[in-house]
Amino acid sequence: MSKVVEASRAPALAARAHPTGWARFREFVERESVFSWLMLTPPVLFLLAFLGYPFFYGVYLSFFRREVTGPATFAGLGNFVTLANDPIFWQSVGNTIKFTGAATLLKAVGGLGMALVMNQNFRLKAITRAVLLLPFIVPTVLSTVAWQWIFDPGLGLFNRLLVVSGLATTGVSWLGSPTMAMVSVIMVNTWRGLPFFGISILAGLQTIPVELHESATIDGAGSWGRFRHVTLPSLLPVIFIVTTFSIILTFFDFQLVYVLTGGGPANSTHLMATYAYSLSMGAGQMGLGSAVALSMVPVLGLLLVLLTFYVRKD
Amino acid sequence: MAQRAESKPSRRDFLKLAAGGAAVVGAPWVARNVQAKPAMITFARESSYVKNFDEHFLKVLKPAYEKLTGIKIEYQIQAAGGGAVPQLVSMVENKSGADLAWVQQEWLYRDALVDVSDIAEAVGKEQGGWYEEIKRLSVDNGKWKSVPNGNIGQLMVYRKDWFDEVGIKKFPDTWDEFLEAGIKLKAKGHPFGMSMGHGFADNYSWLYPLLWSYGVTVMDKDGKKVALDTGETAKAVDFVRKLYKEACIEDCVGWLDPHNNKAFLTSQISCTNNAYSIMVSAKRDLPDMGKVIDHALNPKGPNGQRYHALVPVTHGVFAYGPDVQAAKDFLKWLMDPKQYRPWIASGDMYFAPFLHAFDKVSEWDIEPRVKPFQKVLETGKLTSWPAPANRAHGAVINRWVVIDMFSKACTGAPTKTVIAEAVAQLKQIYG
Repeated sequence: MSKVVEASRAPALAARAHPTGWARFREFVERESVFSWLMLTPPVLFLLAFLGYPFFYGVYLSFFRREVTGPATFAGLGNFVTLANDPIFWQSVGNTIKFTGAATLLKAVGGLGMALVMNQNFRLKAITRAVLLLPFIVPTVLSTVAWQWIFDPGLGLFNRLLVVSGLATTGVSWLGSPTMAMVSVIMVNTWRGLPFFGISILAGLQTIPVELHESATIDGAGSWGRFRHVTLPSLLPVIFIVTTFSIILTFFDFQLVYVLTGGGPANSTHLMATYAYSLSMGAGQMGLGSAVALSMVPVLGLLLVLLTFYVRKD
Repeated sequence: MAQRAESKPSRRDFLKLAAGGAAVVGAPWVARNVQAKPAMITFARESSYVKNFDEHFLKVLKPAYEKLTGIKIEYQIQAAGGGAVPQLVSMVENKSGADLAWVQQEWLYRDALVDVSDIAEAVGKEQGGWYEEIKRLSVDNGKWKSVPNGNIGQLMVYRKDWFDEVGIKKFPDTWDEFLEAGIKLKAKGHPFGMSMGHGFADNYSWLYPLLWSYGVTVMDKDGKKVALDTGETAKAVDFVRKLYKEACIEDCVGWLDPHNNKAFLTSQISCTNNAYSIMVSAKRDLPDMGKVIDHALNPKGPNGQRYHALVPVTHGVFAYGPDVQAAKDFLKWLMDPKQYRPWIASGDMYFAPFLHAFDKVSEWDIEPRVKPFQKVLETGKLTSWPAPANRAHGAVINRWVVIDMFSKACTGAPTKTVIAEAVAQLKQIYG
């Protein structure tokens, strides 16, 4: 190496040997352990402010008797004892389980079917896929108001179809009987959530190597055999994750029931979320309402644990 | 929220003030008074069903007050129906949002409202005195916490042409006659549609009066003892079940407040209980139907009395506002007959004043079918009646305890069970 080149490198070498303040700072920041925390801090602060604070305030409130503008007096487990003796609370728990179970099952089965159809080649495939996403895109309050019209006893789409097609002489009371009201809210939730399943499972379908299907065909597998032994096992991780997310979202559903039935008739569609809302924001019993909301957390926690274990296993 | 105007005292102002000789002791007071006028007052009200009423406020009252005082008025329209109360609760909890408001279900947050006795008493004195029943809502521990603005009258709304067709020329005078009429009309394909869902007006407005007319109240006068557990309640529940099965459209058991309007305007029902907004919509959009709609008072019950449920609109000033006095001054100005009377008239008496000076005013003659809504005030009761309108009563209303007693019976539960469940809830709520 020539002396000239060595001389030109000298300052750089000197700087490396004795880094300036700025360079030392950069070096510190670029360490993975530091940089990752720097990136994490804003979202963590955001979550603490907008999720953590309300959550912990809700937990705090659930142990107090606290009415709007009134002072909070410690009640221990008093609110939970009150709820344990409240038949509407237990009815809303039962309704929430029925609603979540039925809607999630329908969305999973329907979403799988939707994805299998969408995975075929046909004309206007792209447009059809886009249109099927609409229920997911339209604001829930807006679509629910449209559903109110669809369920209208005299002029609603369903009852008109039933009467015009001759399947029934009079229409069904979709929101008037407790059973049908629950069926109706499950139907609307399924309609809204189906595209989430459909699109997610479709994405999973497209990652299954064609070779697997080809070799299964060579081994003599028919359509059902390929679906049972190739498609379904490959899709299980996606279905599991989507179902878990959907259970969480459905469990906490509020808007749909609030707009469509208000929890009626006779509390037959009251979910834990709508009951918590009516207690705290309607009746002003913030402590009792928070206790209802907090009662939903163990279920959410269990689902999150399951999800975490599954993801880590993978 | 009220915002303070930037202080712009002139040099002359300053010299005048300085010459007052209170340069040391009075300096903070002077500074405060130089900039005392707020720049803006926020007034929150539920979205009105009467367009002219809001327009009159925005086009006449708002500019007039702004011109008079230089204070900007922000008219904040809130969601209508049940959505307004959570918004108010949220505002009160966060101590923000408005300086004064239509304080729906004010028992939830009376502590956050200032004493407006000076305004209410002066208004009452000047305008014929207040109806007694409304004092049980607005007066708390001897102090007026809100100034009543008007009652949204709820009456029987019916299709006169269809009633005529089945030979009923006069609206039924008793609940039994009402049932008979309903059976006849349902047989002709025109059922009644009496709301029983989780709404906030059209369900209470007939179920509570019906219960009262059976001689039953929910609580005793002091709000200490549950009064619902009687044989008369059982008779009222049995009656409503029969009325629902034999005279009503099946859906009405789950109806929220907009549903009966929609069903009536689409000719699916012949009678419901509502404010006169159905007639307004029909006259505007369905003129033929608009001609054959009429209103009637609630029928009398076995005790020979007829009752109506009040749906009161009251205005209150929030104690946490930055300039409570400015908000009170504005409320006082609004309730002055020079402003108040044309404002109420602009809404075609949709908001009926709780003041006796309005009992016989010519504004009631604008439409003969509106006139019965004045009568609501004479027999109108708060849903808490005869008990105090307090937080516990609010819980009964927002948990639909009484409404669900009836709706459960209509959907198959035995009378004894629904009453027992309602009584258990009342005992839990009232402690």
